[in-house]
Amino acid sequence: MLKKRIIFALLYDNGFFNLSRNFRLQRVGDLDWLIRNYDFARTASYVDELVLLNVSRQVSDSANFVETLRFLAEICFVPITAGGRISNFDHARVLLSNGADKVLVNSLAAENSREVFRIAESYGRQSIMLGVDVLRRSGVVTPVTRHGANALITDVFEHLSTMAALPVGEIYLTSIDRDGTGNGFDSELLDLLPQPLEQPLILAGGAAKPEHFAHLLDDPRVSALSTAHLFNFVGDGLLRARNLLLSKGHLLPKWQPEEIIKLKGSLQQ
Amino acid sequence: MNTTALKGKRCLIIDYGMGNLWSVESAVNFLGVPCEVITQPDHLDGASHVILPGVGSFRLAMETLAGRGMVEGLKSWVQTGVGCLLGICLGMQLLASESEEDGTTKGFGFFDSRVERFRHSVDSHLQIPHVGFNSVTFEEPQGIFAGLKSGCDFYFVHSYRLDVRGTRGRTGLTTYGETFLAAAQLDNVWGVQFHPEKSQSNGLQLLRNFLETNDSTC
Repeated sequence: MLKKRIIFALLYDNGFFNLSRNFRLQRVGDLDWLIRNYDFARTASYVDELVLLNVSRQVSDSANFVETLRFLAEICFVPITAGGRISNFDHARVLLSNGADKVLVNSLAAENSREVFRIAESYGRQSIMLGVDVLRRSGVVTPVTRHGANALITDVFEHLSTMAALPVGEIYLTSIDRDGTGNGFDSELLDLLPQPLEQPLILAGGAAKPEHFAHLLDDPRVSALSTAHLFNFVGDGLLRARNLLLSKGHLLPKWQPEEIIKLKGSLQQ
Repeated sequence: MNTTALKGKRCLIIDYGMGNLWSVESAVNFLGVPCEVITQPDHLDGASHVILPGVGSFRLAMETLAGRGMVEGLKSWVQTGVGCLLGICLGMQLLASESEEDGTTKGFGFFDSRVERFRHSVDSHLQIPHVGFNSVTFEEPQGIFAGLKSGCDFYFVHSYRLDVRGTRGRTGLTTYGETFLAAAQLDNVWGVQFHPEKSQSNGLQLLRNFLETNDSTC
């Protein structure tokens, strides 16, 4: 049986990983910090998937972003989606050749869908995750691009109906209002989406405790839930959350995180 | 089987421009086996293990491989029996007899299955691609699945799958709306529809099983 997924998202900005609250960024540490102090390889062994987003607002060091992706793919044995600031097919190709299994496109899909078709022609639609960010404005849920700076003249239902027709494999929907707040996922968003959606849906924004996941893991409209908060599930927090959810009968995949380190170098001659 | 003893393991990954090789390479290296990425069939000499990864179009993949002489080259290498071949995702599909993707295209023909798009009824509401961790069932925890329990989870992401009508090498099954071939093993040719390099400890154990085999056991 197909399991639900818990995704961990890393927010990268010019060499640093960030906390985000309503899409306002706060630097936390660099790659060295993430690996040594945060012990990210261990954290990654507790999740079903990783998303690495380049959230730089200004000019970005895309070469360092690719290096970071390569490094994470070397030590994490889960699917990795990379994205943010993808401006064309060639950019996506570089990420897909350096450790990304999928690319996340957001503004590109809304502004230049031809490039999305080009990516799909070469790598298949399953390699593309469509990012959609939404903001509530006086009760209306509005899709936005450019990190929330640009509101689209459409509602979320219409936007997703249009975007779902693109050759994309999954949809990553983020509530900017809940982002980083710890108030739980915005489950009411689900009632505003076209149903059934053609693609599996990942919901992001607001998770801070296992109950937030539990609340939605049984919802057939949701395939995966994502958290980008570096400190809400610090240490073995994600493992404990996962084990709690499994003990309550939620359908998550099972493996032995502690086996991974035992397998390291086990065939060395 | 060739009885020539191999001096250590040498794992090669075939690059034909489709897919995330770096993750496969990283997983093999993590286990402690040196590996190299190759593009031409004459590079196959001296390999103990060859991995054929890939995502994307079946037809384009076969055309690219044939254009480089890799289809014949790899078939000959498999016949010598000096090592084991593992196809991952599209790589496994290429080892089947044919695919219906973009019109019918012949594959390597090691497994007598056909590659078809998921056959879901419209009212099933099952989404395509099949993406996420799903359980794989098998009869014996040996070969590909040594050290693993039937029903354990692996990461899948695909829209086409091998049908279960073929019986040659049928090893592991998965159900998503219908039951399909998730793993196959026939002598020294192995194939998995899922991504072992993306399936945490379960996948690393499977890759270890593959890399542990030698010319007399695979």
